[in-house]
Amino acid sequence: MGCPCALHLEADAEADAQRAFAAVQAEAERLDRKYSHYRDDSLLARIAASAGEPIEVDDETAHLLDFAAELHRQSDSLFDITAGALTRLWDAQLGRVPSADEIAHALQHVGWQRVEWQRPRLRLTEPGMRLDLGGVVKEYAADRCAELCRAMGVIAGVVDLGGDLALIGPHRNGESWIVGIKAPRAPGRAAARIELPRGGLATSGDYERALIVDGCRYSHIVDPRTGYPVTSFASVSVVADSCLVAGAAATLAMLMGVQRGGNWLRELALPHLCIDGDGRISGDIVAIA
Amino acid sequence: MSLRPSPSLSLLLAASAALVGHKLAHADETGSGSGVSYRFNVYDEDAFSGQTVIGDPKRYHVDSQQFALTTGVGDRNTLNVNATHEVMSGSSPWYLVPGPDNRPIQVLSGATIRDHRSAVQASLTHDAGANSTSTLSASYSQERDYHATALGAARTVPLNPALTLGFGASFSHDLIRPTDALLYDRIQRAEKNTLSTFGSLSWVLSKSAVLESGIQLNYQTGYLSDPYKLVSVGDAVLADTRPDRRSEAAWLVRYRYAATSNAALHADSRFAWNSWGQHSLTLELAWYQGLRDGWQLVPGVRYYAQDQARFYAPFFGADAGQYFSSDYRLGAFGALSANLNLRKRFGHWEFSAGAERYRATTHYALGGADAADPATVRYVRVFAGLDYHFD
Repeated sequence: MGCPCALHLEADAEADAQRAFAAVQAEAERLDRKYSHYRDDSLLARIAASAGEPIEVDDETAHLLDFAAELHRQSDSLFDITAGALTRLWDAQLGRVPSADEIAHALQHVGWQRVEWQRPRLRLTEPGMRLDLGGVVKEYAADRCAELCRAMGVIAGVVDLGGDLALIGPHRNGESWIVGIKAPRAPGRAAARIELPRGGLATSGDYERALIVDGCRYSHIVDPRTGYPVTSFASVSVVADSCLVAGAAATLAMLMGVQRGGNWLRELALPHLCIDGDGRISGDIVAIA
Repeated sequence: MSLRPSPSLSLLLAASAALVGHKLAHADETGSGSGVSYRFNVYDEDAFSGQTVIGDPKRYHVDSQQFALTTGVGDRNTLNVNATHEVMSGSSPWYLVPGPDNRPIQVLSGATIRDHRSAVQASLTHDAGANSTSTLSASYSQERDYHATALGAARTVPLNPALTLGFGASFSHDLIRPTDALLYDRIQRAEKNTLSTFGSLSWVLSKSAVLESGIQLNYQTGYLSDPYKLVSVGDAVLADTRPDRRSEAAWLVRYRYAATSNAALHADSRFAWNSWGQHSLTLELAWYQGLRDGWQLVPGVRYYAQDQARFYAPFFGADAGQYFSSDYRLGAFGALSANLNLRKRFGHWEFSAGAERYRATTHYALGGADAADPATVRYVRVFAGLDYHFD
């Protein structure tokens, strides 16, 4: 997953917990192999390699693409999984700010309108296009892992994939889990702690995978229309019935920026907490002491 | 979290349902997973009691066995096959005669009925993705005196991520060859046809809640009387005689709410009107509660009430009109039933058992009833079943 992952479980027997742990690890690795933006043997790499030709995708991928298409529609094209060429360019691992030419070139390979998606067939119309399911797939993986635990009879626990949480269920005594929301400028510290009995919590922020050059912070969240990282909150955390929806809401709010993103989160009526670049906190998540 | 989300959230939830819609799937009783199942049902009506009957007071008893198979055919098709075999016995209400103070007295059929019914039903559903499905179905049912053949087609079409349109139609042809027709001067051979159509809209209100509302139209023609029922008309006892056409319109509302990851509410209602002057109302509530270690408990209650057909009376004077029936099923009555089902999942296997108590009485009827019909039914139904899930 390219991030620290943790699994917290309460089970009747250690063997039950170990079985669930093994299943969760296998599932997380399966999804990572399939949808990694970084691996050359992933399905996304195969889709990129087949650009120009239609490729038939499986049901799971089709559902993810449908979901991404809906997010694209709801965000007025801000959320765009075809931004893969851009996000690669702004990857912190490259350690430099891309040139205007590079960005202009990458932009020619970005745009959901350049994709022909007629379930189950997908065609990237131009070579060089790359899909990036960031903001969706890690959150989906967390939900899948939580569902897997429940199916195995382990009903109390938390799946934590890099700070995106899916609750398997409350503590066995019925009490909620107390989870921390990372402080964007000090990720080791919690900006707030909240009680969460079920559902999911996802955080999108500029602290992860951010490129810092000459003291300037460049978020990994890139506006697919301009090709440049968005100027937005330092982080947005959302609570929803699933980590997938929480993650989508947080990512879309980040893409929309402070003003519009804040309004949109209020309209969604999902509990949320936003922290801007100056550390100011807004939102309606009630933190506990 | 509020039950009624904002429009934007509704769209998000609907779009995510296919990926994390496990709760919705659980909220719906009929799982679509592949598997085989076996059920054994015992249905037992209470015997007639008191002084209000003539004949053997023992009523209907049905033992039935059901076998079902659900399996994928290719990538996008699901085949469902159901086979049922029933053994029915007991005596059936025949007609009513006026007793002291004009209180109806039930005359029961002299002979104890003993019959078998075998039925098979198959349906093939094609999933075109994104909630778009097409289903074709066919069924055949056979008793010694009754053969029914039906064909149907249904389709669901998503209108937007949160709204799905469903529609369909079915046609059935029934052939009736009453037993002992010559002995009792019954009709020897009769047919009836039923055409049904329906349309429905299903809204995903949130990932936890689905509301469905639909209209059903049924049209029957042919021999719609019951060849085994008689009617007391003046001094004569005549064959049950009903119109040869019947139209029915019904409005259905279903609500499914997954309250938590392992508890769901099912609420159903149906209001129907028919051209024989009857109205009926059904209200049903069930709570699906998951417990630890794969147990699930499902308590439920159902209320049903109807008023009487225009040509129904317990018995008629000599000036009865063209149509007359004293079949209690066309009279005014209401019924309450309570049921409790228990399921336990262990690996691929699932054991289920349940019981239902049903009590009909004229006191619960829509608009009240003129007289207590001694034939209104009370029954107990128990079942046990075993399922094997392939996945």
